[in-house]
Amino acid sequence: MMRDATDQLQPETQPGIATAEGGLVFLDGPDSIATTMTPEAAAATGQSLIDAAATAERQQAERDV
Amino acid sequence: MFTERFLRDKRGASLDANERARIEAAISEVKTFGPRKIIARAGEPLTNSTLLLEGIMSRYLDDRNGLRQLVAIHFPGDFLDLHAFPLKVLDHDVATLTTATVATVPHAEIEAIAKEMPQLIRKLWFATLLDAAIHRAWLFRLGRLDATGRVAHFLCETNARLFSAGLSDGRRFALALTQADLAEICGLTTVHVNRVMRQLREEQLCLFRSSLVEILDPAGLAARAQFNPAYLYIADDSQLPSVQRPR
Repeated sequence: MMRDATDQLQPETQPGIATAEGGLVFLDGPDSIATTMTPEAAAATGQSLIDAAATAERQQAERDV
Repeated sequence: MFTERFLRDKRGASLDANERARIEAAISEVKTFGPRKIIARAGEPLTNSTLLLEGIMSRYLDDRNGLRQLVAIHFPGDFLDLHAFPLKVLDHDVATLTTATVATVPHAEIEAIAKEMPQLIRKLWFATLLDAAIHRAWLFRLGRLDATGRVAHFLCETNARLFSAGLSDGRRFALALTQADLAEICGLTTVHVNRVMRQLREEQLCLFRSSLVEILDPAGLAARAQFNPAYLYIADDSQLPSVQRPR
């Protein structure tokens, strides 16, 4: 039986966990995310996520007005 | 006998003596290839199918940067390009990972079997459907599981497939793959695979010693992998660890 729409894939509410080992950054989760990055790529990805999160929060605030 | 592992211990599809003899008679050649040799390229017309007798082989696709995704792994007893019989060309390359011995079956012989023994053709069809079931499990693995889950799932699946082929005792099996191979199977970097293997060892789930795998905690590894062997259609999978997925 198919699941209800509410059971289907939703935006992730839990953060991924990044760890450093051997001069590399490992991002495990959420869900199936599994990637290895150089420190530079990890830092740039982190900044990009922070910037996008700020934009998304503004969009939510505008929608809620 | 070349066919002893083909469809061994598969639910409703194991070969009887006559069927086995017919496939044996259809074999035109037995060849051994060294490791890392391409034996069929995407787009090449094929007139034979290949039964793997010894060793490990892969099907793979390369991306535009030359980075490889292994899309299937084959073990002894697998009729690994049987789908080339109706398709006549493959959409992927086929290569050995280890030294591999294969039996070649001309498509003309499979055509003859279709006329002589329709029940045997149904079993060959079963083999290709089993490949498709494994592909679905690989999609699930890459789409839903984290790094540890992906490696754990591959190891559970390999244990089950080799158990069915008589090449695992249910917990221990030889697996002459490199960490780079595991990375290309699981969509991870080699260093990520190395880290996952260490985690599995530290959590006492699985040990890797040279080319041997020992599953220390089958239930724990299956739980980490969300592994249920039902898709492998093994006649008696009661000895294999499994988790129930929600219905």
